[in-house]
Amino acid sequence: MKTENLEQDVKALIADIIEMDPDQIDSDAHLVEDLGMDSMMALEILAAIEKKYKLQIPEEELPKITTVNKAIELARKYVK
Amino acid sequence: MSSELATPAQLDFEQIKQIIPQRFPFLMLDRVVEIEPGVRVVGFKNLTGNEWFYQGHFPKKAITPGAMLCEAIAQTGIVFFHVTQPVQDDVTYLLGSMKIRFLEPVWPGDQLRITVTPVKLTSRAGILNGEVSVDGKVVAKGEFALAAKENSSL
Repeated sequence: MKTENLEQDVKALIADIIEMDPDQIDSDAHLVEDLGMDSMMALEILAAIEKKYKLQIPEEELPKITTVNKAIELARKYVK
Repeated sequence: MSSELATPAQLDFEQIKQIIPQRFPFLMLDRVVEIEPGVRVVGFKNLTGNEWFYQGHFPKKAITPGAMLCEAIAQTGIVFFHVTQPVQDDVTYLLGSMKIRFLEPVWPGDQLRITVTPVKLTSRAGILNGEVSVDGKVVAKGEFALAAKENSSL
């Protein structure tokens, strides 16, 4: 699995879900407060990461996806 | 919801109404013919020329609105969610997103075969795949997100 572009790839997944240009998304941006996301979108991000990297992430990790960086961190944790 | 409804092989119209809250004119599921909790639910909706939406869509040529195919998928999704992990609380199921591609027009007289399979499930929400076929041909397919929200929070 190619992971050298993980940061950009996860950002692109998030950008696709929230319908924003990846370049306009600040990695420290809070997904709910700054990007107007809701809990369903967080689940979509989780599902998109699982699909892209063909892995399973437990439900308990879901509340941890609060910023773009946290989502990237989570992907990095599970991608071998 | 009683537990005996969680694992039957099929559901008839009356049993479907015990699971999903939609009613006429918005019930888009007549029968559930395959139930594999966590794996797959397959349902049927028979479309007749008498459906209310054909009055306006369109007056000179009845074509099934894509929105109604989405509704059929969503209702099958509620059944899937219910048989997979029944929520006991007083909830309403809400759609979070729906990315559907419509491949063929659907006409009065067509029988929709709606298949829902999971992409990612949590205890209160799910990302699901939905596919609608008519006579073995896929007419609409895509992904959608469904969540059970407590009525007290709405």
